[in-house]
Amino acid sequence: MTKVLVPTICPYCGAGCGFFIAVEKERAVGIEYMLDHPVSEGALCSKGNAALEIVGHQERLTSPLKRRGDGWAKISWEEAIGLAAKGLGDAKKRRGPASIAFLASSKCTNEENYLIEKLARLLGSPHVDNCARLCHAPSVVGLNRTLGAAGMTNPIPDVASSRCIFIIGSNLAENHPVISRWVHRAKDAGALVIVADPRETHTSWMADIFLQLAPGTDVALLNGMAHVIIREGLLDGEYIARNTKGFEVLAESVRDFTPEKAAEITGVTADEIVRAARAYASSPASSILYSMGITQHTTGTDNVQAVSNLALICGHLGRSGTGVMPLRGQNNVQGACDMGALAEFYPGYRKASDPETIKYFSSAWEADGLPTGPGLTATEMIEAATSGDVGAMYIVGEDPANSDPSSRRVRKALDALDFLVVQDVFMTATAQAADLVLPGAVWAEKEGSFTNTERRVQWSSKALDPPGSALSDREIICRVALSFGLDFDYPDAASVLAEINRTVPQYAGITRDRLETGGLIWPCPSHDHPGTPILHSSGFKLAEGRAAIVPVPYRPAVEVANEDYPFVLTTGRAAVHHNAGSMTRRSPSLVSREPDLYVEINPTDAAKLKVVDGDPVTVTTLRGETEAHARLSVGVKEGVVFMPFHFPGTNVLTQETTDPEARIPEFKVSACRISRRD
Amino acid sequence: MPVYVDVDRCIGCRSCEVACQRVHGGIGHIHVHFVGDFASVPIFCHHCEEASCTIACFSGALYKDGERTAFDVKKCTGCGLCSLACPYGVVWTDKIAHKCDLCEGRAEPACVATCPANALTTDYELASRRERARAARAAAKGGRR
Amino acid sequence: MIKVDDSLCIGCKSCSNVCPSQNIVRTETEKMRSIHWKRCKEECDLCVEFCPARALTLVPFDETVQEPDLSFDLVACKICGSRYASEPMLRRIEAALAADSERDSEGLEWIRVCPTCRRSREAEMASRETVLERCRRGQ
Repeated sequence: MTKVLVPTICPYCGAGCGFFIAVEKERAVGIEYMLDHPVSEGALCSKGNAALEIVGHQERLTSPLKRRGDGWAKISWEEAIGLAAKGLGDAKKRRGPASIAFLASSKCTNEENYLIEKLARLLGSPHVDNCARLCHAPSVVGLNRTLGAAGMTNPIPDVASSRCIFIIGSNLAENHPVISRWVHRAKDAGALVIVADPRETHTSWMADIFLQLAPGTDVALLNGMAHVIIREGLLDGEYIARNTKGFEVLAESVRDFTPEKAAEITGVTADEIVRAARAYASSPASSILYSMGITQHTTGTDNVQAVSNLALICGHLGRSGTGVMPLRGQNNVQGACDMGALAEFYPGYRKASDPETIKYFSSAWEADGLPTGPGLTATEMIEAATSGDVGAMYIVGEDPANSDPSSRRVRKALDALDFLVVQDVFMTATAQAADLVLPGAVWAEKEGSFTNTERRVQWSSKALDPPGSALSDREIICRVALSFGLDFDYPDAASVLAEINRTVPQYAGITRDRLETGGLIWPCPSHDHPGTPILHSSGFKLAEGRAAIVPVPYRPAVEVANEDYPFVLTTGRAAVHHNAGSMTRRSPSLVSREPDLYVEINPTDAAKLKVVDGDPVTVTTLRGETEAHARLSVGVKEGVVFMPFHFPGTNVLTQETTDPEARIPEFKVSACRISRRD
Repeated sequence: MPVYVDVDRCIGCRSCEVACQRVHGGIGHIHVHFVGDFASVPIFCHHCEEASCTIACFSGALYKDGERTAFDVKKCTGCGLCSLACPYGVVWTDKIAHKCDLCEGRAEPACVATCPANALTTDYELASRRERARAARAAAKGGRR
Repeated sequence: MIKVDDSLCIGCKSCSNVCPSQNIVRTETEKMRSIHWKRCKEECDLCVEFCPARALTLVPFDETVQEPDLSFDLVACKICGSRYASEPMLRRIEAALAADSERDSEGLEWIRVCPTCRRSREAEMASRETVLERCRRGQ
């Protein structure tokens, strides 16, 4: 039997690196690098290299399970689908379709996400969302408002053409390692790199100018930079006049936002702010890369708009080397949003509140009574479960019990549900709370398309069968839908993509037969369209074709350090782990390199606490307490501590307060206290 | 054809470690060392011209094969002398010795192919070009290097 | 059976690794390595052949001879203090590399540093310029 190389897309971050799985006798025997991949050029980070470790993992779910007392009983698919139909059906009968909520999965394919949101809406529930809510909801809300589209404006390799790269609130060197190769390529050609982050990170190592701002003060920094750019006349007046509206209001709103004022709030010196502003504004092509450090705040939408303002007043959009780049965390979080697995959008970002949308899909899906949105967001679903407004939930491939803030509250909410069905590949903390657990497939065990952070739609092929009686998520969703009498006749992923081609205009030309290595970048409106790597090169898809400059006032974070909780806790990721860790903590070569939860503390603070490196400590916030090991680091300033959120303890501490518009929780700023555990 | 490291490029992602381990049956030959909070460096065999591990090896298991410091597993007794003779600490011994073999049989060492930041290369010309460019930039900024 | 010349044995792992009959038992503690040669009737002389110090010889079986047993204190690393090698092994390497001892100003002092610390030192040397530059940045 010969070795076959199956092309797949990495299941971890949003960079969308490709690699081959070598398959021999129906077993995965190795990874081969995909040298001609446009983003990764064959490279993979540590997680990608370890990806196969979770495929045949002994803890994989291999059979449907129903709760029996404190334990689980293996059941047949027939019984499982029956239970799912009954559980969801009962809730619908008793309290109407709006008492059922769905969480789609940013780890599943576009086709699967499309089917999940379609199932939710055909059952009459407007409540479908995905974990984009916890990462880039502010980008969706903010960038749709200012630029008329929410994706990255330019592709990753285009970063190499930038002359100035401004990275704010993103530790891409650890979280999207492969992007750093393009940053370095730009540096080779003489580009200047600015990094703004509360921590010295592996990303800040690349910086020529490093702005170590206090957590939650991004708007102040960005407004201060805008002030300098306007005051010194570094703006692109012609671009502003031709392509934008609202500049005067911004100019007025930042008139008093001097670098000195910004310095006072951010803790960055006025000189550095001026230097950064000049560098960004005066380079011929500047790009801004940002991530959760911008979005995961109660001011997330403000932050995004402030970023967009900077790009607009300098005219750094629509050309090679420019752009606004929200780097997305999950391999298909962009796709899950495109497919309408969002509370406020049907597929293709058609507003769920617009009667035209309902009319369109009633006809496309030949369905009556489609729900008008917006539905409940992921975070609101948890509140509604607590209050009893939501009685049943269907969660696919997400782990809110670990990934949502204030996780104790989430567990209580899940326990309060009449019925919870969880579809996943491992027994996650969320699945532990379920009545019914359905075993799904990992990326290598199914086929379908994934859309990476650049809007690049790529096809990933099936290399292996799922273990035991586990099924692809598409098959499971179709079986559940069929049990409700819905016509979900989709024999393969390609048949779903064919429907997506008809109903999602941005994907109209992205047909299965066109998806070769490198895929296609949406919008791709027709079969002969080459895709659109760079957005906004000829105006904006907003009124009059103009982008909106929206002034944002600086609002401080909700929690500030105080006498009882003297430290500011900020959270993020580490290179060898991914998100809630259900995969990476099970991957031996990853977890062995970072086995425990730690908290980074500045050595000066540690000395005051009488804590040395490696000491066990307790971290406490108003929400709860967590045990961790102290890791002394001059990378965090005094008064600031950092914890990665890959371990169950971290989100016990974070707060559920959300951004008023995008409903993203404040993950990045919590007041905490630390004590040595003796 | 040894592998050259561009320390300025290394982002401490430990991809080379995991890749090396993956293609060598779970035993890797690269250790990424962190220097405070400011740098990381993958440390592995330099394939020294006058390799002290080959001098210390009494059985002929370690030997020079052109530029490469090669290893013949059949001759190794696992005595441990090579580990102690390596000035860089990059030859390990358990039952037998193990060290970087430059991924014999692969078109390119796995660490070089997988490095997300392009920090590793087998191209001497590229490595020295980068070094010269960096020196020029540092000089332009008034620093020394 | 095996006779050991304890003036020659360097306390390496060769014989215990190559013995096909597990008749040579090596015990490692944090501070000490002990090697115990059981009385064996085998005609095999792999350990003799593969002894880097030529310390072993094959002699006729004799029940009355005591089983050889040697212990070596492990030397502490000059930097971290962890114990990593037997003194005779380090001496042997110093002797073998003596010709090469003008390698740098420290000569062969590095031999008295454990492999882990050698790697750390190498990392520090290799990144010195980079770290300096990163610390200077923004000042």
